[in-house]
Parts: sequence; C-alpha cells; structure tokens
Amino acid sequence: MPHLHGTLIETDILVVGGGAGGMIAALSAKRHGAHGTKVAIADTWMTGRTGHTAFSNAWMIVAAPEDDIDGITREIVAGNDGIADQLLVRESLANSFDRIADFEAMGMKFARNADGKYARRPTRGLDLARVMCPDGGGLEYCWRLRLALEEKGVALLDRLFVTGLLGGPSGRIVGATAIHSRTGEFHLIKARATIIATNAITFRSGFVRDITGTGTLLAYRAGAALRNAEFSYVRPGTPKFYFEGITFAIQEGARFTNAKGEAFMRAYEPEWADEADVPRIARAMAAEKMKGNDPLYLDMSPIPEAMRDHFIHSKVKWMDYFFRKLGAEANTDMFGKTPYYALNQMTKMAIRTGPDCRSDVPGLLAAGLAQSGCANHFAGFHIGLGIGNGWVAGRSAVEDLDRLPAPNIDVAEVEALHDEAMQPLRPAAQAESDRILRDLQAIMFAYDIGILKRADRLQAAFGKIEHLAEDFRELAAPHVHELVRLKETEAMLLAARFILGASLYRTESRLSHFREDFTERDDTNWLVWVDVEGGNGDTPTFKKTPIPTPLCPVTTMAVRPNRLKQHVAIGGV
Amino acid sequence: MIENIEIEKCTSCGICDDVCPADVIHMEPAPRQARLDGLVETKLLPVIKFREHCITCFSCEIFCPEQIVDVHPSVKNRPRPW
Repeated sequence: MPHLHGTLIETDILVVGGGAGGMIAALSAKRHGAHGTKVAIADTWMTGRTGHTAFSNAWMIVAAPEDDIDGITREIVAGNDGIADQLLVRESLANSFDRIADFEAMGMKFARNADGKYARRPTRGLDLARVMCPDGGGLEYCWRLRLALEEKGVALLDRLFVTGLLGGPSGRIVGATAIHSRTGEFHLIKARATIIATNAITFRSGFVRDITGTGTLLAYRAGAALRNAEFSYVRPGTPKFYFEGITFAIQEGARFTNAKGEAFMRAYEPEWADEADVPRIARAMAAEKMKGNDPLYLDMSPIPEAMRDHFIHSKVKWMDYFFRKLGAEANTDMFGKTPYYALNQMTKMAIRTGPDCRSDVPGLLAAGLAQSGCANHFAGFHIGLGIGNGWVAGRSAVEDLDRLPAPNIDVAEVEALHDEAMQPLRPAAQAESDRILRDLQAIMFAYDIGILKRADRLQAAFGKIEHLAEDFRELAAPHVHELVRLKETEAMLLAARFILGASLYRTESRLSHFREDFTERDDTNWLVWVDVEGGNGDTPTFKKTPIPTPLCPVTTMAVRPNRLKQHVAIGGV
Repeated sequence: MIENIEIEKCTSCGICDDVCPADVIHMEPAPRQARLDGLVETKLLPVIKFREHCITCFSCEIFCPEQIVDVHPSVKNRPRPW
C-alpha cells in the first residue's frame, strides 16, 4: 500500500533552477509552445531573488548586428582551448541581440551611447566580444524576468528542492520528486520534458558561491553523462570580500603582483599579461605560490583616484552595501595590500548534450551552467551562454512535447525516490554536514589539487574523498534545513570523485586543467570531451568524445589582440 | 553575517525569509498579549535560525521595507587554496 503524502503537480515542461538559464528556458518554452503550454520552474529558494545570477552584475556578451559573430565564435572557441560546442556558441551569439529586445520589453533598461547604440565594453580575455548589463544588474534582471514569466503564466514553484528525476517505465524522464525546502512536504511533479538549469556544483567557496545546485548529479543518476569535470572556474579573489569588477580594474591599470612587488603576469602570458582570462591567471598565481613568491596581491594603486569610487560603490547592490558598511576599511582593503588567492569558485562539470541541449536521456535537457557548452565562460558568457542555451533548451523541449508520448508514472519508483529523499531525516540526529564540507573544501580547494595537478596528489586526494564519503554515510538530518544541506554535500562528494577522476584521465594540460606531469596541450590525442558515464553507480567510466569543429579550427589565443595594441582606458564599470 | 533584526518594528511581511538564499531566517509564530480576554493574537516574526549559514548577501537588509535588519560585512573561516 503506497505511503505517500504530499502534493502532485502536473506540467508540460519542468525547469529545475530559476537562474539565467532556467528563466530563459521557460521564456523560450512559452514563446515556442502552443497557447496553453504549461511551464513550471522549481527552485530551492526564490526564482528571481536567489542564485548566482541575481547576485551578479548580469554582464552578458551580446553580439550586435554589426559585430563579427564568426570572429567572436572563433575567439570564444580558442579561449576555451577548443572545449566548446561551436554550433551552440554561435547560435547563442546570433540570438543574443533579439533577447535584449525581449528584456527591454520587460522593462529592463540598457545604457546607450550618444550615437544611440548600446553602451558595451570589452571583456577580459577576448578581443571582439562586447558585454553589456541592465541598469540594476542581476537583481533587476532576475526580477524583471520573474515578473514577465508570471505574466505569461509560468508556474513559479519556489522553495521546491528537487531530490530525484523520474525515469519512468519507458526509460525517459517523466518528471521529478521534490521536497519543500522549509516544511519538507513531498512533491511529485509530472512533466513531459524536464530541463536541468541548476548551475554548476560549488564547494561553497564564499559569498554567493555558497549557493550550489545538485541537478547535474541528479541527471547523472538518471542516466545522463557529464563532461568538463576536469575544468573549473578558479578566479582571483580574496576570502575577505567579494568584488566583481576585476576585469575592468585591470583595464584601468590594476596589476597582479607578488611579495617582491613584481607584476608577474607578463612572464606567464606574454601577449595578454593581466588581461588574460581567469584560468590563465589562476595557473600563474599557483605557480608563483609554488615558487614561494606569495603573498600575492591585486595592486589597484595605479587606478586614478577619480575612478576608485566606481569600484567601492558597486552597481551590484549587495556589494555596495558590503563596501559601505566596511567604511574606510573598504578603501584599504581594495586599494591597499590585501592578499589575493586563486579561489575555486565552481566546477565546470555539466550535463552532456548536443547543440540542441538534449541529453542522451529522452525527456531530459540542460541549460545554463548545467549544460556543457563551454569549459571556460569568460566574464559575460556565464550569463551570455545561459541565455543562449536556455533559449535552445526551451525550444527543444517544446519540440519534444510532440515527439514523446505522455508520461506514465511508476508508483514504485516514486516511492523509492520518496524514501531515498526522506531517509536521512531523524529528529534526534546532529547536524554534521558542515564538518564534512570543511574537510572537502580543504582537499578540493588546495592549489596543488585544484589548479596545479599531478597524478600522485590527485590519487591521494581521491583516497581522502573516499574516507569522507564513508564518514558521510553515517550522517542524518535533524530538520529539513540540514536535510537540504546534506543532499547538497552528498552531491559535492560525488562531484569531487568525478573531478579528480577526470583530472587523472586527461593526460595533458588545457585551459583550467594543468598537469605538472603532462604540461603540454595535445590536440592530436586530447581535442576531446572527457565524458563521465555510469548512471546509477558511484564509480563512473571515463571516455573520450572527439569535439567536432564544424565552424572553425581550434587555435590558440597567442595572437596579440587588436584592442590591446592600442590600449585605451575605458572609464567606469 | 546577519547581526540583528529590530523585532519591535517588524510588520511580519516575511520578505526577509522569502529572499534569503541560505534558509537563515524563519518566520515563526510569536504569541502576543490578547486584546480581548481569552483570545491570543499570534503574529509571525523573523527568527535568525541558522546564523552560521549566512552568506552575507545582504538581501534581508536590502529588501526589508522597514529597514530594520542589520547585516555585518564580516566573514569567517573562508576556505583558501594555500
């Protein structure tokens, strides 16, 4: 006899995750679907107010009609060291200008120059691409999107933490199970197509990066493959405060220096120097640390006094509050000697899809950073590609509504997922996931594991993760708050295994994956995605999938960028 | 990290609870003195339930209509790579 109690929701398209990728996927589904197509977004907290996008500047790479889209595609592919879905990158760029029109129709405001064109600026590591952001940044962007989605009848299922994907008797995804993130009430969401847009896994590296998503691993458990686990987003920063604007600070004169006062980036990146993209800066910082040249700094002193307020008084609201409350200390922290580190913000591990954003599992798609379109997103393409792949995913999901039959639900499977979700809940237990998290962070954040890799250190880290995973199995949750964190920590432990395994598997160096024992890039053998497959087991198989290059050959970023040949300081952030 | 909420000025709108990405603030019933004999008025008031998980995003302070939430820009125990 079934013992389920909770709520049943039926929809056509379920989007899991209400950030940049998810909200655009929902918008696209409504645009492309027949009148009355039901779309729902489930988010652990509140779509439009929580999540990385809401807390960002919402810089997005947008290709205007006069831009060289093929050139931008080439440089993004080159900036990914070839690990990119060329067709999806180009389609995202080609569609990006139309999205701005959509956003303005929602009430977002984008600054324009005196000539009437959108005010855009270059972004770090790219020559042709240009970024723009709406007034009010991510908070305004996300809230306007939410209001627009509500108006279009998208069901916003706030506080639903998805705990499992329903495989259905036909081997396709037919929806999800979830719990209310406050009450723990069980939910079953029937859907004919499901789009995972839960961001990448983070190990809670600080500030808004504490927010993490588990959808990629739910997809893995449902039979989807993952890729790009050996790459990560390691960004220069300080644990003391979070500062979005390093790209522009560098354009205004800031330089990375070491303990000897040397501006060291030119030695590692002769053409790009400090304007190199984050993986290259992270590698250089780690190398300087290994040489004993730390502490390292971001020397902001070359920035003219008149410009400094732009960085202290951030357009990102929460950062503005932060720096205002720091008071005089903000000036010292930003423009004085604050040690900088290469901080591991998140993995690039994402769900394997085609350029149509469909995974190998029928009924399961991916968008945002949960989709594997790039291994290096640059400042502006986290959201830029999220908008692009979100649009594609929503369109593909609508197409699937016609192609795939209406879902059947296997009650036994629902019960099993229900039991798995609720099993750790024990009122008398202690909340201990934070202990596991701290140990996990110590392993995965270490620069000689996460940035400068070597087989013996990776193996040793793997052993430590296995011990942690053993320890973790004993944990329970006294309340729903801890249950959610427990599930998120469980996902981090699985991600750590895949990250270390993929890092061992790829025996070359490329992008943010740097092997001390295989220092060269090897396109002959490794212009591939490393796929993580395995489905239900925790021990995956790793395999190579050659990366198609239909639009452009894969080159390096060694050519001196045109805009740096005549560097002109671009004021303001 | 969230420091304080001036509870006596709270209007129970619940926005601080809604916008928190870390489930730190919970609106919980707080019984109040009855205005009529035998009747107890219950009001929901914010409780800082899981302060240690605050990510210092300032959302509660930014969105509180009464401006009664104080978040301090301090951070502790942030992981470092070296």
